Amino acid sequence: MDTFALIFGYAYQYFDNVGFLVLSASGLIIIFGMMGVINMAHGELMMIGAYITAFSYYAGVPAPIAVIFAGVGAGLVGMVLERLVIRYFYKQLLSSLVVTWGLSLMFSQGFLLIFGPSILNLPTPFGGFPISEQTFGSYRLVLFGCALALVAGIWALFTFTRFGTQARATMEDPAMADALGINTRQVYSLTFGLGCALGGIAGGLFAMTATISPFFGVNYTPLAFITVVIGGGANAITGLIASALALAGVQTVVVNAFNQYVGYISMMAAAFLILLALPRGISDYLERRKLRAVRASRPSPHG
Amino acid sequence: MANAATRLDRWLGPLNGPQTMGRGVPFWLCFIAAVVVLAIAPNFLSRYDIINFSNFLISGLLALSLGLIWGYCGILSLGQASFFGLGGYAYGVVAMNLLRAHGNTDVAFVAGILIPVAFAAVIGAILFYARLRGVYVAILMLVISLVIGTFLRQTADPSYTIGAAYLGGMNGLRPTSPDDPLLPSLIFGFGDWVAEFDGRSVSFYHLVLAIVVAVYLGLRCVVNSTYGFLLVGVREEPERTETFGYDVRLIQLSVFCLAAAIAGLSGVLYTAWGTYIHPDGFGVAQNILVVIWVAVGGRKDLLAALLGALVLNWISLRLASEGEFALLVMGAILVGVMLLAPEGLAIAIGNRLGRLFGHGAKVGQPAVRTEEG
Repeated sequence: MDTFALIFGYAYQYFDNVGFLVLSASGLIIIFGMMGVINMAHGELMMIGAYITAFSYYAGVPAPIAVIFAGVGAGLVGMVLERLVIRYFYKQLLSSLVVTWGLSLMFSQGFLLIFGPSILNLPTPFGGFPISEQTFGSYRLVLFGCALALVAGIWALFTFTRFGTQARATMEDPAMADALGINTRQVYSLTFGLGCALGGIAGGLFAMTATISPFFGVNYTPLAFITVVIGGGANAITGLIASALALAGVQTVVVNAFNQYVGYISMMAAAFLILLALPRGISDYLERRKLRAVRASRPSPHG
Repeated sequence: MANAATRLDRWLGPLNGPQTMGRGVPFWLCFIAAVVVLAIAPNFLSRYDIINFSNFLISGLLALSLGLIWGYCGILSLGQASFFGLGGYAYGVVAMNLLRAHGNTDVAFVAGILIPVAFAAVIGAILFYARLRGVYVAILMLVISLVIGTFLRQTADPSYTIGAAYLGGMNGLRPTSPDDPLLPSLIFGFGDWVAEFDGRSVSFYHLVLAIVVAVYLGLRCVVNSTYGFLLVGVREEPERTETFGYDVRLIQLSVFCLAAAIAGLSGVLYTAWGTYIHPDGFGVAQNILVVIWVAVGGRKDLLAALLGALVLNWISLRLASEGEFALLVMGAILVGVMLLAPEGLAIAIGNRLGRLFGHGAKVGQPAVRTEEG
């Protein structure tokens, strides 16, 4: 095998892993960063997204539209959950962890009752392309592209839109935002719905590469949590990107050197080490550095 | 009468205190009556019921271990079943290897407690000395449990043996060769004296009942001692506790290890009960059930956590005969209780009863809701 194919193979795996982590963790980290809630039912919302995609696809809806349906469906489920349950647990990290875990159990067991343990499959679109004897699936690149597009979309949403400004204001100081006339309850509700919709979209996209069952979520949840934990809540987007880049690097190297299971363990170990150095996550560290740089460049008010 | 009451107070001194519900004469009379009823239950219940009750009590131990760290010290572990599973595997592996030579499972019993403690000491030292936030500790514990489960699941290859014990992947722990002994029930031996407790027997049930009562009373002494007040101090105000000169990290680590010992003991008893241990012990379902028992019963009282485990296990068993929706109902009960009685049902009821009998103090005070953030 020539060097180019080798390097391409590693790069392909690396970006596949990055895309995987970004997609599975994006909704989770937004909810964590914005609302101080870690949504243990995130994997189950991905599962709901996967089911919606599968059923729409088999009802004749084109795959991209089916994925959008998944996002809308999961987002609506999320908004209902927020109204009924989540809003009583804002800023109570441990209680919210437990209550959303209960919700996740209800979803996976409920789907098991309704749809049974049988699994669904969707065809993987786009086929593959060969690079010196090896064939690579094109859909993995599409997934990475989708991950990039989603991150860019989230960034634009929170930077340029009215909703984004209101959401950031609410995150910074809910009481002040409320006093300024922002409907913070609605902001929370929409933000939670957005996080769940991102989970639904991710579930819909993964549905074409994985088998769909009521326990679909379990495959994604642990890694998504590790990504979020390392990313930290201070700045969702930089945290997400930084931790996905770091973890995917570890995973790619170790999986190639050993096997899938050791790769998984090594991501855990890497997560431990990163947390030892940066106990509040990468994004907190980056934010503080930025703050220090700003302070240093500004002349001291005391002169 | 007043004299008798003071004497009783002195007797029960170490057991009573503001950290546990129930301290008056009526409570202790009810407690003794309940233990007596449980002890004579085999006389009027079927063998099948007694076998199940043994398992409920074993779950109760696991609930006590989580209640201790979560309710009293504010350390939520979503992976408490990992210590349970480790204890079970440790017991099984050591028992199968030493049964021929020793004729008893004494060493295995101790190993099943100490190996989870050693594991907790290593993990806890990393988690607490890094001063990780509580929510990260909770999640990392779950991930650790899932990782161990994943590892054990892929040990179906015949090369995964530890002496006479073959890890066996999805099929659970089993002998390496047909000549090796099967996973044994508890056999205690001391010199010529040997006592065997078959997991299906009444004597095993009585053993488990005695252990649960002893652990409950022992933990009552612990949480009402100075150390127990320190635990609550760490839960409510870690910074202030530190300012007073206590090493919060050491307190957290020590209670984490104590809880691991109890969870390990629970795993040992479970393995001996069914002569069976399986990677699913490390799975999501097992871990979430422990949290449900404790949260629904009430995490800030030992008895509440214990009762939560017993009652919910009984409900699960009843539901199991109706269909596959026991876990769904458990999830719904958890969410419902978290919304309506966030402190837990047994604590809500206990506080009501306390007010009825004129005891003003409530368990789990101060009422200020502090959540580690």
